Order: sequence, then structure tokens, then C-alpha cells
Amino acid sequence: MKVLTGAYRKIKDLHPHEAIAPGTGLCAGCGGLEGLRMALKELGDDYIICNAAGCFTLLSVYPFTPLKGSWLYTTMGGPTPAAQGVRDALDIRMRHRGLEEKENLNVIVVAGDGSSNDIGFGATSAAIHRGLDFIYFCYDNEAYGNTGFQLSAASPYASATQTTPSTDVHEAGTEINKKDLFEIWKAQKPVYLATVSPREPIDLSNKFAKASHLKGPRMFICMSPCPTGWGFEPKEAQLIAKLAVDTGIFPVKEYYEGEVVHTVRPRKRLPVEKFLERQKRFRHLFKPHRQDVVIKHIQQRVDEYWGQYE
Amino acid sequence: MWRIRLHGRGGQGIKTASQILGSAGFYSGFQAQDFPLYGAERRGAPVMAFTRISEKVILERGPIISPDIILIGDETLLNDSQSAPLCGADPTTLIFVNSPHPPEKLAQKFSLVTADLTDLCHKHLNKRTIYSSALSAVGARLLGTIELADLLQAVEDELTQQGIVTQALQGNLELVREIYTKIEPAILTPKVEKTLITKPMVLPDYRPVVDGAPIILEPGNMALRKTGNWRVERPEIDYTHCNDCLICYARCPDGVIAVNPEGRPAIDYDHCKGCLICAQECPGHFINTVRETGLFP
Repeated sequence: MKVLTGAYRKIKDLHPHEAIAPGTGLCAGCGGLEGLRMALKELGDDYIICNAAGCFTLLSVYPFTPLKGSWLYTTMGGPTPAAQGVRDALDIRMRHRGLEEKENLNVIVVAGDGSSNDIGFGATSAAIHRGLDFIYFCYDNEAYGNTGFQLSAASPYASATQTTPSTDVHEAGTEINKKDLFEIWKAQKPVYLATVSPREPIDLSNKFAKASHLKGPRMFICMSPCPTGWGFEPKEAQLIAKLAVDTGIFPVKEYYEGEVVHTVRPRKRLPVEKFLERQKRFRHLFKPHRQDVVIKHIQQRVDEYWGQYE
Repeated sequence: MWRIRLHGRGGQGIKTASQILGSAGFYSGFQAQDFPLYGAERRGAPVMAFTRISEKVILERGPIISPDIILIGDETLLNDSQSAPLCGADPTTLIFVNSPHPPEKLAQKFSLVTADLTDLCHKHLNKRTIYSSALSAVGARLLGTIELADLLQAVEDELTQQGIVTQALQGNLELVREIYTKIEPAILTPKVEKTLITKPMVLPDYRPVVDGAPIILEPGNMALRKTGNWRVERPEIDYTHCNDCLICYARCPDGVIAVNPEGRPAIDYDHCKGCLICAQECPGHFINTVRETGLFP
């Protein structure tokens, strides 16, 4: 089994460069912003971000930008095609028009789970297929958070969203399972693929450091606790992220050279209730009466997943 | 017609407060209208909501420019030029501020009512910053024409729709009852109704495409926007105990905790949004939280 050998071992080793200026309009306590902040620390300032419409559109609002690099704002389905265009333009200019190597840019796609799982899904699949040299950062808050938290293909089973609330007929709320984007992307064999959590900054930084030296499609799924949509106090954002890892609900792993490695393993998995009970979107599982069958089903799926690896 | 404007921050239940007030007015036999107004910004950013209550049919639409009652849920907004909660107030406007200290300067100019809703919310809901039912109770009581039973019914209906049931709902109902007995109905002077005059239609002029595709040429200039006024509580590092582990620096989503040359963390209060992740995550609990109170103009 390959072990990720990163440069970072302690928090104090992390890159001191602050890549995102403060003052953005994102919610206080945004988990996705923390993930992107850590990622960009590692990727340097020579990049162009192709952003899909979503929460992170609020990062750069005319006439302000928090970024040191460039930003291209695209439609919800369009970030990956935009990245292809930018990459091709850079390559052609370098090859034929005398653009110097040092002026080359990292092409990064920043997209939410709605864009990644639903609307921009096909275009991204095509880009991986073509072997486009880019980094894909998906901030996954498990619903369309920007528009008021409607169901996306990434919304987990039994979560309440604006379009799938818990009702007398549909007591569990969302009755379908979260799309396993990691496995879908893995099937296309991208150069690098990883899930990251903002609560694991060292693991996250090491993964981005590793990916920055590779060429080809490098995909990241970042768990993004969302205080507004998930319904918890902003200060608990990191605690929720920690519980997602500790309960085994969110496996932190990477896929590289044909192998999947879990880079952060919960020592002893906590029961899933610990993660569920702190969030308003799962409150109907506990109040007014406890939905044991549903909770058991969630636990069972987590156990089945880890059963493959334990 | 009574026009009520509510001010607060995203996440404090300002929109819900306007809805409860509207429903309560409706149950008391009035015509009612309520709606919120906010930009693309999020939890913590200034938010407005409006309620119109009238015996006759309400034909007026759009934001309330000159309100009869202004309900300010977060006193720190008084210093916020973007929010400008006193905008459109005149001597007949009644202003309510959620504050533990009566602001004298404001009282010289306007008729003013204050109460410390934050402590009451903490007592009944165990949460300091959810003003939905509290602010609507204040509004309903100041109006004086809304019955307690109708108000309680409105609170129950609106909150149940949001999935707030059992204990949490009971807490809200208790809170509303306490506020209803604490606050006296106000004497309101009706505003002189203006006659509306139709204006000629405005035709948009066409601009070159460049104007619609702007480019930002100064990287990182977002720091010019100060988000420090989003804070309700302020994190303060206890430097006598802090051992510079820098966990707070790593965990701050907005990156407003910098490491100074001596290797110590320092919070940038101009931009800190007050999510308090640092206080929650500090292993030794060496970051204290202090409630922000605004300075009055």
C-alpha cells in the first residue's frame, strides 16, 4: 500500500501565503471557503479559475476580487468547457506565439456539487476523457446552497432540503442516495482524484502539493459544511466536518496510479447519529419522534462501505 | 395603514419576524403584506424586511421608504452606512432598538423604545441571536391592535412550517408571552397619505458591450470591503495563556487570523465575520467571546 508522503506534518508547516483576501460575501463559517483557501495556498498565484455559477460566485463581485490570480465566471454547466478553451489558448500561444513558459497558468475549475453532479457533469466527464490538464475543485455542500438549498444529486439520503422536506408522505425527506461522484470519476481513471476535508488541512495541503506536480485531470471533492443550509451554528462548521470523518460518513481518500488509499482513517467509527443530530436538515429523524429505521439504514450503508476496506 | 420595517442580519430570523407579524395582523382581521429584501450576501450580512398592515386593501407595493415603526434587531447596524436603519425616519416614526442600554442621543430625536431581546432569547431559546418571534412580538405589541392569541397562533403557524416544533416552539411561545407583557402599546400618529402621480415611462439607453463585461485589474482588492460589522460576538485571544499552536490560524475560513513576526496569531477585526470557529476549535479554550455592542450615532 502506498502511503502519501507529504512535506507537511504539522499545522505550523503549512504554507504561510494567504491566497484569498478577506472581505468576501460568503457566509460566516463557510466550510468550502476554508477548503479553497487551503488549496490555493498550495497552488500559488499563477492560475486562472473557471468558476461555475454557485455560492463561490460571490468570491469575486465587481469591482472587487479576493484573488491574486485570474477569475473567469461561467454558467453552471460551463466551467470545464471554459477550462478547455483557456488551456488550449495558453498551449497554442506558448507553442506558436512566443508566450513564455513562466507565463503559463494553472487552469482550475471551481464548481459546487450542483454543477459537478448535475448540470456540468457531462462536460466534466468529457474533459477527463480527453485528458485535459486541469485541476477540478468541487465544494460539496450537498445541495444547491446558493439559491436556497434545493435538492441536488449530492444531497444525502434522509436530509431535508427546500424541495424535499420531511412530510407525512415522505417522512425521511430525501429518499434517494447521494451520487458517488468519486467512484464515477474513478471509473474514468483521471491522473489524480481525492476527497478532502477542511478539518484535515495537512492532508488537504499534501494532496494539493502532490497534484500540483502532476499533469492531466486532477479532481478534488471537498466536503463543505454549510451553516446556512445544513442548519448549525457557524462556529460548529469544523466540528461537523470532523464528525463526518469520524463517523465514516465522509471517507477521506485518494486515487492515484490505480489504487485507492484512505489517507485519514477514523480509528474507531462513531455512530452516525453523532453527525446527524447536530444539523437541522436531519432533525426530523429525531423529532417529533425518532425514525430508527432511517437512521439504521444510514448506519448500515456506512458500515457496508467500510466493510470493503476493514 | 401601518408600515413596519425590520432590520437585522442574515440568520437572525428577520424575514420570519416580518412573516409572523403579517400573519398575526391577518388573524386579527387586517389586510397584511410582508416581504424581505437582501442582496446576494449571506448569513451575517445586513437584511431588511417589511410588513404592511391595514384595515383597507393594500395597493402599495415595494420597499417601505418612510416607516411608522422601525424594528432594529441588531444595534450594531446603527453604525452601518450600507444598512442605514434610520433611513426615512421622521419625528412621527417609532424606533425600537434591541439593546441593553437606552441610547440617549437617539431618544432626543425620535420616539424610542428599547429592550434587551438578546438576553430574553438566551433565556427562552438558549440562543442569543434568533429574533424571529421576539421582534415580531415587539412589533405586534407596539401596534397595539393585535391580540395575544392571534400573535401566538401566527408564531406557531410560521415556526411549524419551518420545522420548529415541540420544545423549541414552546420556548418561542413563552418568549412572545413575556415580551407581550413587558412592552407597552405605543401611540402612533398616522402619516399623511400621499397621492401618487404617474411618471412618464423611463426608456433604457443602450451601452456598449464593454460596459457589461467589466474587468477587475487590482488583485486582492476585496480587502477594501470590511466585513467586520457582520459580527455579533467578537473572539478575543487570551495572550497570557495562548501557546501559539496556530490552530485558529489554520481553521479560520476567511483567513483573517494572521501570524505576526513573533509567531503569534492576531485577529483582523476589520474583516472577522464572527463565525467563532477559532473560539470553538482552540484546544485550550484561550479565545474568549465578547458580545459586540454598537456605538450610537
